[in-house]
Amino acid sequence: MRALTALLAMALLASLTSSCTSDDDIALRVLAGPELADIEPLLDELEEDTGIELKMEYEATADLAGQPPASGDSPYDLAWLASDRSFLLRLQERLASGDRVTRPESTSIMRSPVVIGLAPDVAKELRDRVPGGRLTWADIADAAADGAVRFGMADPRRSDTGRAALVGVATAAAGTGSALREQDVSCDRLRGFRSGQTLTGSSSRDLIDTYLDHQDEANALIAHESELLSLNATGEPAEPLEIVHPEDGMVLSDFPLLLLDPGKRSAYRKVTDWLLGADAQRKLMERTHRRPVNQDVRPEPRLRAAVGNALSFPDRLSVVERLVADYGDPLRRTADQVVFLLDFSTSMRGERMAQLRAAFAGLSGADETSTGKFARFYRGERITVVRFGGRVLEERTVTVRGDADLRALEEIVAEGAFDDATAVWSALDRGYRVATAAVREEPGQPVAVVLMTDGESNAGIAYEEFLRRRRALGAEAADVPTFPVHFGEADAAALKRAATATGGRMVDANGSSLSDAFKEIRGCH
Amino acid sequence: MSDAVSDDRPTHFQEPRLATRRGGRLRVPGHVLVASAAALAGLLALTITGNTLRPFDRIVTIEAKMASKSDFFRDPEVQRLLLREHGIRVDVHRLGSRGIATHSFAGMDVVFPSGQPAAKLVLDQQKRSVRSSRPFVTPLVLGTFRDYAKTLERAGVAVPQPAGNGETLYYDLDMRKFQNLLDGVDGPRGAGDGSGSTADTWNGIGFDDISSHSNSGRVLVRTSDVCESNAAGTYLSILAFVANGNRTPGTENTSSAQSAGDRVTALAERIRPFINLQGMWADEQADSYFSDLGESIAPISLIYEHQYLAHQIAYQDKHGEQDTERVLLYPSPYALTEPQLISLTEKGDRLVEVMDNDDRLRERAVELGFRVRAKGEDDTRKQLDAYLSGHGIQVPTENPDRTKVFEPDLDVLEKIINHVGNCPPPEGDTP
Repeated sequence: MRALTALLAMALLASLTSSCTSDDDIALRVLAGPELADIEPLLDELEEDTGIELKMEYEATADLAGQPPASGDSPYDLAWLASDRSFLLRLQERLASGDRVTRPESTSIMRSPVVIGLAPDVAKELRDRVPGGRLTWADIADAAADGAVRFGMADPRRSDTGRAALVGVATAAAGTGSALREQDVSCDRLRGFRSGQTLTGSSSRDLIDTYLDHQDEANALIAHESELLSLNATGEPAEPLEIVHPEDGMVLSDFPLLLLDPGKRSAYRKVTDWLLGADAQRKLMERTHRRPVNQDVRPEPRLRAAVGNALSFPDRLSVVERLVADYGDPLRRTADQVVFLLDFSTSMRGERMAQLRAAFAGLSGADETSTGKFARFYRGERITVVRFGGRVLEERTVTVRGDADLRALEEIVAEGAFDDATAVWSALDRGYRVATAAVREEPGQPVAVVLMTDGESNAGIAYEEFLRRRRALGAEAADVPTFPVHFGEADAAALKRAATATGGRMVDANGSSLSDAFKEIRGCH
Repeated sequence: MSDAVSDDRPTHFQEPRLATRRGGRLRVPGHVLVASAAALAGLLALTITGNTLRPFDRIVTIEAKMASKSDFFRDPEVQRLLLREHGIRVDVHRLGSRGIATHSFAGMDVVFPSGQPAAKLVLDQQKRSVRSSRPFVTPLVLGTFRDYAKTLERAGVAVPQPAGNGETLYYDLDMRKFQNLLDGVDGPRGAGDGSGSTADTWNGIGFDDISSHSNSGRVLVRTSDVCESNAAGTYLSILAFVANGNRTPGTENTSSAQSAGDRVTALAERIRPFINLQGMWADEQADSYFSDLGESIAPISLIYEHQYLAHQIAYQDKHGEQDTERVLLYPSPYALTEPQLISLTEKGDRLVEVMDNDDRLRERAVELGFRVRAKGEDDTRKQLDAYLSGHGIQVPTENPDRTKVFEPDLDVLEKIINHVGNCPPPEGDTP
């Protein structure tokens, strides 16, 4: 009996201390992605049931920059993001460089794919363009390039949602069927897609707020399925956005809760157990439209819709960083200029000329392949076409604003006359003068030269003279690369030399086609 | 549920916490009210259960690091048995098996790596002789979905196992042929792996003919981190064994250690794309495979047989039928994994002893899909097969090709893993 009394005393003591000071009744500081603010109402219930208060501090972060263990100390106990992939890649980099850091415990709480919501009329217009009516990211990129789609997407530099979207679109653009590798991102295939972006935000929450104030500026939003469903549920968009799960795949977010301070493990476990319980999962689904991870919770009908195939995330930080850097500031308008130097010597007559015309038609939007839709000319892009034989035959610069401009380009290529000689280096010299003028007019704008020839240079200046003149043009010319396209009987060694000297790369159209060769160097820099 | 106060961890006293949880709707008016309500509940609980106190009067909490075998210790019935019969509660810290072996063991009583390579890594680091237990085995398998399995069957890579009536749950997968699909290269023999840009993609081998869906992605197996997980490491040893002409790598007669090492590196280089084409690894393969979005997340996931069977058993209980959408590919040659519970402290010794001697726990392991070696017998299938057929679940047949992958020597396997995964050096407890 005495033992029992002692036990009771201890029990009382234990419950008192545990209720007041122990981890049964504590507050945890959580660094949370702004996307997770919709979970806030549920946190009171979490606290009532577990005694644990989650103090959410929302901050747009793409990879938990500045948080341990990847770097420094953190005032936070937990982190809650849409995805921890970029963070894990950063951690992996640290580990590979010999730093002793431990991967924090991480628990997926919910899932939602990154998809696109389209205004109903745009959705219909796009579906009508595509046989079968099933839209892909390539179709979106195509429509962005020709101005039919004006979309909003969170800034990939700051938001993990924006980053997931970017990786998804870029993976589709590469079209390899597997995760992006270094060689897939060496050229920027997303310039056409990017030309359609009109709205952004530091997070997709921010983006959606901006959209609600500027609905006339965009007819599409790229965000989580859950965010788009929630947006529609508010009734604030003029018309509900139609949610499209692109056929070529999506990146799935799993909203992991990470334990940054291992000392808070016991509370962390209670929080995750609670969040993964059937009750909480059902409420999360009903209130935030995310898909439950607990299999005992049956998803509501619209969350049972197939999401398509998940695209794998790259396994290298450098790949993601390159993508993000190339994409740059979503709101900074950059229009590239490409100078095409096209050989119109008589040897181009016939089949070769047919290929050239087909290649230009393809780049103007006729190419139905997925890579073609990403590679096409886009609104705002400036295209210079220089036809040459023994001298420059014609030079024309077009800023693409609509179909009329694309037709003008095709006409130059279609109706040009031929010449007997081939002055490759004189043509390249002209190309650099056009390019330099473009850079001077708009510093920082990406400019590249594409030199297509099917024969050896037999007129005009010598290669050495070209190099001398290019040097004389100064710094503006130095950064402009040349991408020679080797065709027919062209001198591959000479073209390679020119590519190397200017920081470009030669492609061979003989093994494939002029179309493929042009596509291969689109967006290269 | 604790029957008494655990004197080494007073803050983990159980009943008060449960009581607060039940009183969930109570809007906290102040700590005192909660505390006294909790204490009262504790008092009641003690009064009620006081007479049924077990011989032990303290609950031992065992800190344990483990990977997929946490499925066992997180099972409510296992938890109940351990607590009621032995006064043991296991606090599971989840980490990949190889991660367990390469990170610090500080504060742990036991570790439970999912396979022998990681277990050996752990044992090698022990300065004293330690107690351990290998309670069960389970083969490494590939979890997939019906239409994908049929696509592989049509490509001549997988063969369905006979099912009495209805659709089979199991296929045997010819790993040699399968590797031709994984390499991302348009095979010279053309047949079966698609051609041109669709070579080795699901649509390229006819998935969109068989299914109402389309998948232009490559044929890939999703794995967890090769640097951290036993499953991925074991999968690598299958790939290496097959790529080496069904010979264990590192066993060739070579004149020098140097050239043996070069051969292993060359082999690792050859199998690297089979893993790396998937891009970033994903943890918790089984969780995603069994989720509603499983088929979207990955057509093929690397899992253990016990995880699949546990799913089928639970599915049968809930729906009264088998889950015929999710099917298994048994790699041939195959690899059996043998998890090992390794004690690091005296408390850990007790758990090892319990695992070795409690028949009810071993029975429960069978109910969770593990192959348990009956006492005094070598056979590990009998009990599991009987349990499955008793529960209306198709029994997987023994693979006709009995070629078993012999895991390479630890240092050879480590070399392959480190090469493929570009893994950081192990942490260890002593710098």
